[in-house]
Amino acid sequence: MVGPRRQTSGSHGQEGVPVTLIIEAVILGILTGSVYALMSSGLTLIFGVMDIINIAQGILVILGAYLSYTLEKYLHIDIMLGLLVTIPTLFLLGMGIEWAFMRRIRRDRVMISILVTFAVALVIEGLLNFIFTANYVQLQAPYVDATIPVFGFYLPYIYVFAFILSVVLLTLLYFLVYRTKFGFGLRASMQDRTAAALIGIDVERVQTITFGIGVALAAAGGMVFGATSPFNAATSYDLISRLLVIIVLGGMGSLRGALFASIGMLIISDVTDVVWSPVWASTVFFALLIVLLLFRPRGLYGRLEGRKQ
Amino acid sequence: MKKTRTLGLLALLAVLLAFPLLFSDPAVTTIAIFTLLYAGATTAWNLFSGYTGYVSLGHAVFYGVGGYALALLCKDWNIQGGYVPFLLLPLVGLIASVFAIPLGWIALRSSRHVFVVITIAMFYIFQLLAYNLPGITNGSAGIFLPSPPWDAGFFNTPFYYVSLTVLLLSVGVSWWVRNSKYGLGLLAIRDDEDRALSLGVKTGVYKLVAYVISAFFVGMIGALVGYFIGSLYPPFAFTPVFDITVALMAFLGGVGTLAGPLVGALLLAPLQQYLTVQLEIVGLDLILFGALLLAVILLLPEGIVPTLRRWVKWTASRSARTGPRTDIKGKEEALLVKGGREGKR
Amino acid sequence: MVRSTVAISKLFSACIVIVLMLTILEACSSSSTTNNSTQAGPIVIGASIANSGDFSADGKPTEQGYQLWADTINKQGGLLGRQVRLDLVNDNSTPEGVTTAYQKLINVDHVNLVVGPFADLTAVAAAKVAARSGYALVEGSGTAVAVFQQGLDNIFSVSLSAKNYMVSFAEYILSLPAGQRPKTAAYATQDDPFLIPQLDGARALLEHGGIKTVAYLKYPAETSDYTPYAQRVIASGADLVLLGTFTPDSIAYVKAFKQQHYNPKAIIAASGPDQGSQFTGPLGGTKVAEGIFVPNGGWFAGISTYQNDQFQRDYIAKFGGTAADISSDTVQAYSVMQVLTQAVNKIHSIDNAKLKQELHSDAFDTLQGPVKFAPDGENTTAVAFLFQWQNGNLIPVYPQNHAQANPEYPKAQWPSS
Repeated sequence: MVGPRRQTSGSHGQEGVPVTLIIEAVILGILTGSVYALMSSGLTLIFGVMDIINIAQGILVILGAYLSYTLEKYLHIDIMLGLLVTIPTLFLLGMGIEWAFMRRIRRDRVMISILVTFAVALVIEGLLNFIFTANYVQLQAPYVDATIPVFGFYLPYIYVFAFILSVVLLTLLYFLVYRTKFGFGLRASMQDRTAAALIGIDVERVQTITFGIGVALAAAGGMVFGATSPFNAATSYDLISRLLVIIVLGGMGSLRGALFASIGMLIISDVTDVVWSPVWASTVFFALLIVLLLFRPRGLYGRLEGRKQ
Repeated sequence: MKKTRTLGLLALLAVLLAFPLLFSDPAVTTIAIFTLLYAGATTAWNLFSGYTGYVSLGHAVFYGVGGYALALLCKDWNIQGGYVPFLLLPLVGLIASVFAIPLGWIALRSSRHVFVVITIAMFYIFQLLAYNLPGITNGSAGIFLPSPPWDAGFFNTPFYYVSLTVLLLSVGVSWWVRNSKYGLGLLAIRDDEDRALSLGVKTGVYKLVAYVISAFFVGMIGALVGYFIGSLYPPFAFTPVFDITVALMAFLGGVGTLAGPLVGALLLAPLQQYLTVQLEIVGLDLILFGALLLAVILLLPEGIVPTLRRWVKWTASRSARTGPRTDIKGKEEALLVKGGREGKR
Repeated sequence: MVRSTVAISKLFSACIVIVLMLTILEACSSSSTTNNSTQAGPIVIGASIANSGDFSADGKPTEQGYQLWADTINKQGGLLGRQVRLDLVNDNSTPEGVTTAYQKLINVDHVNLVVGPFADLTAVAAAKVAARSGYALVEGSGTAVAVFQQGLDNIFSVSLSAKNYMVSFAEYILSLPAGQRPKTAAYATQDDPFLIPQLDGARALLEHGGIKTVAYLKYPAETSDYTPYAQRVIASGADLVLLGTFTPDSIAYVKAFKQQHYNPKAIIAASGPDQGSQFTGPLGGTKVAEGIFVPNGGWFAGISTYQNDQFQRDYIAKFGGTAADISSDTVQAYSVMQVLTQAVNKIHSIDNAKLKQELHSDAFDTLQGPVKFAPDGENTTAVAFLFQWQNGNLIPVYPQNHAQANPEYPKAQWPSS
């Protein structure tokens, strides 16, 4: 049996990795990073306001993807338009989950919220497996494959659309959180739940709506994710672990952190794929988290510890 | 009263020891073995996560390290199947503990929330290392453990007793810690770490020690599972299912208590094995498990043992007096206690 | 006072738990204490099916294969004059589940014979349990190299070995005239014990034949984004691309190649292109798949192998659809049963020891072609078929006696979407 050969980088022989590949990796990193930013914003928001680590976020993204898939396949609704249906649906679902399960958790939120959200994730995963089976699917649209030549390689339109969609939604989110009355209540609840309640903010309502928003963002992220990768219910595991790493890296509860961490991590991951090796890219992804936390235990933009209740 | 308790526990022990003789069917003892192993793992996990309040979802690292350690030792030292691999278990546990020191040190520097995610990240790193270091682990092709020469009727028996021993050790250490000053310190960390620190508890060291001890047992258990099944592959040696199952069992039984993990494992492990084998419909096992988990958490948020204990206490105190407090029970009583948390359990 | 209540409640809970556990175990055992050792009763064949877990997509087709065979043989009077009954349990696609499953089948249900679980990762665990009780394990999907290296003498793999899958492709490429032959090759494979040997087997031949390896990537199985790996392959500019993939990654690669207008002279993927609409659907149509090769373990709809006509007719009668819908998992399962039937009939017995001897020494015939087992359990007479998408259909192009057309080479340019 021939032993493993050292990898060469194609037609350029031993010169090293061609610059175009690296540029490509960076661009892809930014574009896919925006998608991850969308998915992880919801996660970090939920944590910030409710101290809950929503492990179900991964499967909810997949649920959003399956919803878009169903709309597209059986009702022939374009995946972008389908968002008008999937986002509100998942928003309501999120609120429902919060009302049904999260509200009951009064204490020990860290531990129990992990278990509860994991249980919810299991149930949703089982349902999806049952309805759709474990076969892989992918969202289709005419612009999913079409490409535009850029910098010596072809950029699929869908990535650009995904990026634009993410930017739009994140801007809307920013607007919501920083410029509206609701957002004020949200930020107040994030800082100090008791004090917020004391000044008249309906903290429970804020929490329910925030959870709904977090899940609604998952719907959008799901559509884009589903258009760029084949998926099934089990894909949620890889997703949630990456999302968790991203929000910790960015600082739990920080939207800005989620954005920068997503893009940063994806760029680094994609470049490592190209420059070093695909098998190590995933390892680097996780290892980077640990390295960063050694130097900055609260992440890039994390708040200082000691949130008083 | 102490006599009743000791007698009761001895009776329990007798039943456990006699079990393989009473139920010689290998299918039953297989389930029993997995139950014992999960009980041991859950107790060990609880020793760290339950007592300190830091939820680790990455203990599978030690599970896998233990398994691969045993496989590699058997390979390098040319050990045949039989009783000898069992003798290697303490060494395997030690290896897992050695891994736990740097990992624990890194992870425990963060807050509780971040800690959870770090353990998950470490878990994935190890899984990926198992895949990507084929020189050591043989990568995705898997690594195999020697097959003991015992026949079908006898095969499970040594495994049963070794698993029981590991479980008893795990419970013993857990009990000893619980009743020691060290254990008090751990519980103090769980309740209010800053306060504990200010009271002079060396929180960093305490947490790390608990982490390392729990890794010791989990490593041994991982090795036992690997030896029992005979093969190890990266996705199964480092499986996320392990941590979730262990956490679930601990929560079901009552995290932070001594008997809780045992109760949880005794209930869930056979159920899990049984359900897996019996169910035909795709996805149903996940739905059922998730629904069960939800029901348990919402209805018995503290777990079975503390709820039972409170119920027993309530009935006992009820018969002792007739004051206005007889209508308060369960959760409400818990909420009345300071900070919504029960004091020392 | 507190201590005693603590003690009582602890004891109480422990008692409840033990009682519950005993009840469950009682229920487990009593529900299936069937005595199968009587001569006149049915022959019970046990197997574990992946109804949940990673391989759940393959569970149902495998079950269908076993079930179809059981129905067919019972209609013909049974095996050795006795009716056949299947005892199928779920294994959750894990070695742990498989261990429990086969323990139950052998020790609780006392089945007469066992056949294998689906997948390489669980075959060894099943074989070890079976070996302890002296059972033979004929299986159809554990063909990875490691499976045969465990010193097990009771495992019999009826399907083509993993390392031989792409041999026909390599031989075809090397048979091309020097001017047309590709000069460089890129290999990309998932880190899986079934896929890696396929690629390595082909690579050994191709490198020996002078085709330079310009890229060799292995990526983790649990990936969700294959784009970077596809980019790597594209950047290598290789003439030939060999992919060790399952369905989702094969789709991702082809899509990426198409998007980047990368046209190697030939592409082969270990699996994916053989999944019919599951492959072509996400790609956007069968035209996109034009020219892509996929290896095959020796069966396709309409092939004139042993009992295939009847098999196809029976399948359509029972499950509907067309022969093209039949999954290779079903074929493998059915082939396993065919071998078992032939062996049992030859020795007129279901004794496992005699069965093992017979399986080791004799030759058999199946839907997938001839079977002869090496001492380590491999099937040494299986031939790797080669399929290619041509004009919207997946057709065999090798070996000659089964080919419906010549292989298309070089691959046509991607259709403009």
